[in-house]
Amino acid sequence: AVGEACTELKREYDQCFNRWFAEKFLKGESAGDPCGQLFKRYQLCVQKAIKEKDIPIEGLEFMGPSKGKTENSS
Amino acid sequence: YRHPWDTVIKAAMRKYPNPMNPCVVGVDVLDRSLDNQGRLHSHRLLSTEWGLPSIVKAILGTSRTLTYIEEHSVVDPVKKKMELCSTNITLTNLVSVDERLVYTPHPENPEKTVLTQEAIITVKGISLSSYLESLMASTISSNARKGRDALEWVISKLNTELEELKSTREGMKPAMAAASTEK
Repeated sequence: AVGEACTELKREYDQCFNRWFAEKFLKGESAGDPCGQLFKRYQLCVQKAIKEKDIPIEGLEFMGPSKGKTENSS
Repeated sequence: YRHPWDTVIKAAMRKYPNPMNPCVVGVDVLDRSLDNQGRLHSHRLLSTEWGLPSIVKAILGTSRTLTYIEEHSVVDPVKKKMELCSTNITLTNLVSVDERLVYTPHPENPEKTVLTQEAIITVKGISLSSYLESLMASTISSNARKGRDALEWVISKLNTELEELKSTREGMKPAMAAASTEK
């Protein structure tokens, strides 16, 4: 992972994603991505690391401070 | 590949790290979304350590060998097509490597998958351009070979994990068996 701090978050997200990808998405059931929250946490960490390391990625939207945690995932 | 498309795509998503591409030291997902046709778009960042020969490093005038690559992929589970496009985002003042990979089921045999791979290398403004071009071209073609080996490796690893899962479920021995032999 780009930042060492993000490795654990990435691992958790990857596990969730790989399961969903293999068991749902490829079989044609793409509705209901269960990994939304995990991804958001992991993404925040990665975006911070990218900014710190000055990696030139265009068009990356930085998520501002979240208004509050929503219980239900989309 | 002598594997069905689903198998290859699952492996392709989990390609790194693997022993054949030791240069790829990090993979991060920058963004991921489903479009209105049900295709999965992923935007990823790959970190690579080139291990450039020191003379090349001296010419490039950099001791930094960590290169970043941006990769966009689209997986269409209905049409069974996965397309990946990647380009380097560092060292761009020297060289651009744009790669495109497309995985589709074999048109005659659904148990096989076809990979089409192309790379465009552009070297900018260095007198050693032809040397660098051929170095890059041979690295890329040997990486393409390694990439295929890497996927085979990931596929067999995934199969082993599945086998292990099955056998632990079937062969659960009571924990007391070992303890009861002592008296």
